[in-house]
Amino acid sequence: MKNKMKSKRYALLLATALTVSAVLAGCGGGKSAGNVAAGDSGARNTGGSGEQVTISHYTIDSEDRTFIEKLIPDFEKAHPNIKVKVEKAPYEQFDSKLQTLIAGGNSPDVTSHYGYGGFAEYYNKDMLLDLTDLIQEDGFKAEDYHIPENLMKIYTVNGHTYGIPVNMYVTLMLYNKDMFNAAGVSYPPSDYEDKSWTFDRMVEDAKKMTLVSDDIAKTQYGVDFTWAERDMRPLYFGAEPYSEDTWTNGGVPSETHFDSPEVIAAYQKLFDLVFKEKVSPTSEWSKSVAGQNGDPFVAGKIGMSIGGSWNLAGANDFPFKIGVAAVPWGGNDKVRSTLFVDPLLILKDSKHPKEAFEWIKYLMTTEVQEKSIELSGGNPPVNTEAAEVYYKHFDGIDPEDVKKVYEGAVKYGYESYNHLITNYSQINDMFINELQPVETGHKTLKEVMPVIQKKVTEIIKR
Amino acid sequence: MSTVKATRPLDPSPRLRRRIKPVKIASFTALLVTTFLMLLPLFFMVSTSLKSKREMLKFPPTFLPESWALRNYVDIFETLQFGTLYKNSLIIAGFSVFGTLLSSALVAYGFARYRGRGNNFWFILLLSTMMLPYPAIMIPQFVLFSKMQWIDTFLPLIVPAFFGSAYNIFLLRQFFSTLPEELFDAGRIDGCGELRMWRTIALPLSAPALATVAIFAFIYSWNDLLTPVLYLSSSDKFTLPVGMASLTSSRFRIPPWHLLMVASVLAMVPIVTLFAIAQKQFVEGIVLTGIK
Repeated sequence: MKNKMKSKRYALLLATALTVSAVLAGCGGGKSAGNVAAGDSGARNTGGSGEQVTISHYTIDSEDRTFIEKLIPDFEKAHPNIKVKVEKAPYEQFDSKLQTLIAGGNSPDVTSHYGYGGFAEYYNKDMLLDLTDLIQEDGFKAEDYHIPENLMKIYTVNGHTYGIPVNMYVTLMLYNKDMFNAAGVSYPPSDYEDKSWTFDRMVEDAKKMTLVSDDIAKTQYGVDFTWAERDMRPLYFGAEPYSEDTWTNGGVPSETHFDSPEVIAAYQKLFDLVFKEKVSPTSEWSKSVAGQNGDPFVAGKIGMSIGGSWNLAGANDFPFKIGVAAVPWGGNDKVRSTLFVDPLLILKDSKHPKEAFEWIKYLMTTEVQEKSIELSGGNPPVNTEAAEVYYKHFDGIDPEDVKKVYEGAVKYGYESYNHLITNYSQINDMFINELQPVETGHKTLKEVMPVIQKKVTEIIKR
Repeated sequence: MSTVKATRPLDPSPRLRRRIKPVKIASFTALLVTTFLMLLPLFFMVSTSLKSKREMLKFPPTFLPESWALRNYVDIFETLQFGTLYKNSLIIAGFSVFGTLLSSALVAYGFARYRGRGNNFWFILLLSTMMLPYPAIMIPQFVLFSKMQWIDTFLPLIVPAFFGSAYNIFLLRQFFSTLPEELFDAGRIDGCGELRMWRTIALPLSAPALATVAIFAFIYSWNDLLTPVLYLSSSDKFTLPVGMASLTSSRFRIPPWHLLMVASVLAMVPIVTLFAIAQKQFVEGIVLTGIK
């Protein structure tokens, strides 16, 4: 009730501001227009003339995303009636700009969930175009583009397809060969079928490499376990915090179980790595070594790092030798790796969905997916044929290992919750804040988890 | 100032001098320590900007670069279109400063010199615009400018500056009200119009306040990230903050901190220059207007 009144007042304020600024800008527009060279504004809205159509692809302004600009010339040659324009924003401003563009009637045609908000958020805000009819009309078949069928299902809600997977990161283990050699520990396996590779064995190995010293420069830890986002971690041990229906209804869980004994036990196991086994660093230590969002593995202070396969991208610059290994078995026979599959989406307000779909199809072809690996500096393709090129991309790492780890991860993989659950950015922020006192050792899980359970329920209802 | 000096004994007694000394030493030490602490981040910025990519990842970090990677200062022009970004930022900031000075000084003059009906009401209304956060007007403003076909031009970043800013108007109004009425009376007797009095009396006497406003307006425009991100879409129109944000935008790559530091060092140059030029005026402006 209070919220409603607030938003009403807000709307009134907005309306006033709009009128005032309209009046102000209206009388002053001409005065200074001559001062600056006006650009080619409005060019994007002239799609109608001569059947020439311009579509825009909205993405993050970073080299591993904007490389698509280099793919445009060939596409335009093959499709003379379609022009592609790349619109971009920094990561932090990605969502704000997208919302503004849509609200301002300048909606991009193609994008992905590259900002804080995941697919479910876009879906529940009704921003996405249902691609089912387009796919049928076009005769698009996933297997023609070597997209595994189970990946196509990720962005299908109630039988309707809303996104075409384009890149796939998995969770894997990177290990520091130098540290393994120094401690005389044998390298972990890359084969997911190796039954001896378990969470407990990982802890044993980690103990042999951990060295806690007063001298921060000498301190090193055996393992850093950053599997998926915080709310998803219980799944690794076989506990499911969200109800089954979440995965079929567009990401709105009817029930959550963050205060159940299984979930609490799972988190306990993870925090034990830090406080009981003392083989993992505290978050303060990690921050002091690697900065706010940095990874202490990069500094050569961690033996094994379980995290997203994007950590591989910097591999060629690490000042030590690395290898890749399977994520050990932790008690869940079905899930051991989190998948981070990025789809290409067409927005509902797109004026040229057909042409946008042509562009998406082009990006999915084996040839373009292979080219994209090099151009992007190592983005993992969804196209299994192009993936062979990806496996060979990293200096000093056996391509066979990368392949095994990727294939095992897909077999034992589950799509990251951050793409699948509604209002996820709020859930994730809340998790980071609420777990903070546990990470610093000031509170116990038993105190915190009921609070989290309550807050998750509230956020989902929003 | 001179009168204060004259009342002081010219030669303080030796006892007094001795008493002052330790205090002086202590305060100088304190000043030195804080100066050092303040300069440390700056030092690391410059030092990191001269490190190689590999050295940048080292822990513990090196204090001075092992090998001086002066190449970074060339590389930045290849990684980003640094020259273009710099030029764009300068153009936008230049016009913004001019626009802010012109409009804010005019409006502030009005508020300071005239006692009209509802004077306070309008002034409070003006000040209340400071409480409207940018995200609240973001979308309506975007709709407006997009209807005017201003998207992907510098206009949405410059034109609003020509309509005054509440904070700067407030600052200038405070300063204008301290100007003695007699000056304006004299001007009026000599046949000065209001606009001419503004130009030839008020403005020249307000150099400190104007310098302050100029610095504020420049820094605001120079650092602004969200507005250019929203309105600009071609890479050759991007501004410095947009380009620099792109260096840390990949969630999947280690950010090239060394290049980011190069960009930061170079981005700091105009602000430091401007501050060096206007420093004397700036400090005076803050003291005299009572604004901090």
